[in-house]
Amino acid sequence: MSAPAAPLTGRVPARRSLSVRPDPVALLALPAFAYLAAAYGWPLLVLLGRSLSGPQGISLTPLAQFLSDPFSWRVIGNTVRTALLVTLVCLLAGYPAAVALARARGAVQGLLLLSVILPLSVGVVVKAYAWQIVLRRDGVVSGLLVGLGIWDAPQRLLFTETGLVIGAANVFLPFMILPIYAVIRQIDPRLAEAAATLGASPLRRFLGVTLPLTLPGIVSGIAFVFSLAVSMYVVPSLVIGDRFQTLATLTGRAFLFMRDEQLGSTTAVLLLAVAVAVVVGSTALARRLGGGGQS
Amino acid sequence: MTATERTALALVWILAAASALFLMAPLVVTVAVSFGSSAVFTLPPPSWSTRWYERLWTSRDLWPAVWTSLRVAVLATALALVLGTLCAIAVVRGRFPGREALVTFLISPLMLPGLVVGIAMLQGFRAAGLRDVGLSLLIAHGVITLPYVVRTVVAALSLFDFTLIDAARTLGLSYPAAVLRVLVPGLAPAFLTSGLFAFLASMDNYPISIFFTDAWTKTLPIQMLQLVEERPDPTVAAVSTLLILLAVAVLILGDRLVGLRRLAEV
Amino acid sequence: MPAPTPSAPTPPASAPSDPGFLTIVGAEKRFGASTVLGGVDLAVAGGEFVSLLGPSGCGKTTLLRIVAGLVAADRGRVVLDGRDVTRTPPHRRDVGVVFQNYALFPHLTVAENVAFGLKAKGHPRAEIPAVVARFLDLVQMAPFADRRAQALSGGQQQRVAVARALAVRPKLLLLDEPFSALDRKLREAMQIDLKRLLRELGITALFVTHDQDEALTMSDRIAVMNRGAIEQLADPVTLYRRPATAFALGFVGLSSRLHGTVREEGDGVLRVETALGTVRAPGRFRPGSPVLLGVRPERIRIGADGPNAIEATLVEVAFQGARAHLFFAGPDGERALLAEAPEIPAGARPGARLRLSWAIEDTLVFPAEPAQRDAA
Repeated sequence: MSAPAAPLTGRVPARRSLSVRPDPVALLALPAFAYLAAAYGWPLLVLLGRSLSGPQGISLTPLAQFLSDPFSWRVIGNTVRTALLVTLVCLLAGYPAAVALARARGAVQGLLLLSVILPLSVGVVVKAYAWQIVLRRDGVVSGLLVGLGIWDAPQRLLFTETGLVIGAANVFLPFMILPIYAVIRQIDPRLAEAAATLGASPLRRFLGVTLPLTLPGIVSGIAFVFSLAVSMYVVPSLVIGDRFQTLATLTGRAFLFMRDEQLGSTTAVLLLAVAVAVVVGSTALARRLGGGGQS
Repeated sequence: MTATERTALALVWILAAASALFLMAPLVVTVAVSFGSSAVFTLPPPSWSTRWYERLWTSRDLWPAVWTSLRVAVLATALALVLGTLCAIAVVRGRFPGREALVTFLISPLMLPGLVVGIAMLQGFRAAGLRDVGLSLLIAHGVITLPYVVRTVVAALSLFDFTLIDAARTLGLSYPAAVLRVLVPGLAPAFLTSGLFAFLASMDNYPISIFFTDAWTKTLPIQMLQLVEERPDPTVAAVSTLLILLAVAVLILGDRLVGLRRLAEV
Repeated sequence: MPAPTPSAPTPPASAPSDPGFLTIVGAEKRFGASTVLGGVDLAVAGGEFVSLLGPSGCGKTTLLRIVAGLVAADRGRVVLDGRDVTRTPPHRRDVGVVFQNYALFPHLTVAENVAFGLKAKGHPRAEIPAVVARFLDLVQMAPFADRRAQALSGGQQQRVAVARALAVRPKLLLLDEPFSALDRKLREAMQIDLKRLLRELGITALFVTHDQDEALTMSDRIAVMNRGAIEQLADPVTLYRRPATAFALGFVGLSSRLHGTVREEGDGVLRVETALGTVRAPGRFRPGSPVLLGVRPERIRIGADGPNAIEATLVEVAFQGARAHLFFAGPDGERALLAEAPEIPAGARPGARLRLSWAIEDTLVFPAEPAQRDAA
């Protein structure tokens, strides 16, 4: 007959370990972390400190000095204006390209993808050099526009702001296309169909369904392109030259030719501030818009 | 499909095709110029020739820069692969706070303006008394290649099934042998693609290298830009064409390993 | 029948061979502050199929991994075929494992997966293809030898995993919920196939599952685990008929449960007072002890008189083809009592008061559980 077994309580005393031992696996991260902290993190902090310190400790004098110069404001204006224009061109050209990339199948998609990724894998010096050739008075663009009857006579685009925007948009366009493509690819095509069965017109469907859903991708794309365009250095150097200064080219010149490190540090930190603001702001915005955005 | 939709769709395709041509234009122009006979960039060239490649072959400015760039890129990529893989293992397998912040920190050199990162490192290295140009270049390039490795290997490791290692151990392999025979083949595509793209990033880098070169040690992009400013002839187009070929080779390999679509996930 | 003490190694009644072919003594494991295994003893005889049955988090998988050598126990020993393997790494233990997700190597073909262990263990190269072919044949996977492991269905992957684990001729096969990812029909077919295969090969196996039907179908003996300890180790029939603890009663099979208090004890028969009347049960308890009574549904007769008889209100009838389940309201809930009948009795309509009776020896008695056990 089944007699009851001894009660089973209290057999397993739960003992709390007193010391929290660090996970030994974490040590594998140490070399990379130490390397990056020493070679990059610490110098970045020093740069930040230097731009915010005058002869008497912490001060905003260098920054105030820089901002009181009208030339500085012209440089800032140049920087922001070209970056905005480049971003706009990239958005207008990139959105349809991303839509087409997501809709395309097979070899067409492969070709489109290649036309985005191959230029992305080629260095900026090569592309800027090519634009220097293309934008000459006797270059391809001028010839094309004259041939189409848009221009009466050959003109030089090289060393103009228009030329700079065209060249920069070309270099940064993939950074607009890919984030938008990534988001469109994940959209359920049935949503647009559902909207159609509900009687929405094509335009309404686009504005009411597709566009809001792709917004996180658009935000990431704009953030990528804008922060890249604000700090571009090689493209302006080759395509527009020294007469047109942006924050980035001024920073480079301050260090490489003028040997004015105070000025260079100040402009560098301004660039850094813009980049951090754009990255943080766009990440937060993309997350609020429903994720899917990449950072 | 209504007429409006058809028109909109046609417009999308036309714009996309135009974008594709626009994107490819600089590459096509570069290749065309490099094979042209004219020294003044007439397009299409009056006749085809390989004279710029011959001139490139005998160039005394470019080859040292090519070797410098190759050496730096290979060493920086190797450094990034070792440090990045160890770190990725810690992030994916370890249990410690701040892992996400650590990854963000390791990837951040790609998100900040290269010029600013370069200036910061220039000042930092100078303050630390580092004078050696080659070593400075290597350390700086390590910083910009590491993000590629960390990003890709972390992603691959989080998808890796670690019971495979247990399985190999119960089937007769010691722990190190199991890692070698199961984990390494599983991560090989990630190693190769991240290594290739880190290599390309180092080969093409301009805004950081510019602060760590001197009259004797120049990387290829620096030397190319200098040549363009000093003596604009299509020799640079010939080098550029070789760099485009390198990118094509990397993409072909990457496509074989993980597929072009995965590569598009920047 | 003597009560099986849960924490002592119980040799099977009729040992076919070495009764302690696999012996686990005092296996203990903690992860941080929580105790996963609190000193487990277990002996498995050669050729025996033993299941570790329990809810998730009971420590069954940890015990399996300790036997495999994939986890080191904090304390305790593991002896396999007379050899203490406590400190032996997994690749020298001669233990095959079938993992829950099968863990087939995705970069290898089916045949290469099966050959993996043979190569690793230094099997003569020339013989490997023949061994691989034989084991793929045994699991009926020979036509798929050149496929990639990833291209197979769940059931096929499981067969390959079994072949891969067996091909190295392990002394012991460990199976970690190998059927949990399969749908029910396939699962039942494969359980029978696997059991027959292991019997033909004479393999000793330790099988981890949370599915009581699976354990009852396949096992020679079942170890019911709860909170890092074995509550009962017994053959399926004994486990079902004579559960040693209230947990084993609840985890294996269906039962009616009634709480009560012992009123008197004489000649090994208790009189227990419950909310539905007095019930007699075999056992020795001091009068006044709170107890839990359990009865298996097929032991309850409906509408007949007997030594134990109570009246209860029928709540619901569930017709199941070969039999019917009748649920009755009890003091502890709407469907506290369950009786099984070959067919639905006349007048069994919800709301009807029916008489339920069962034999004294069919009443299972357990000490009432304290309200809350400390969660280890």
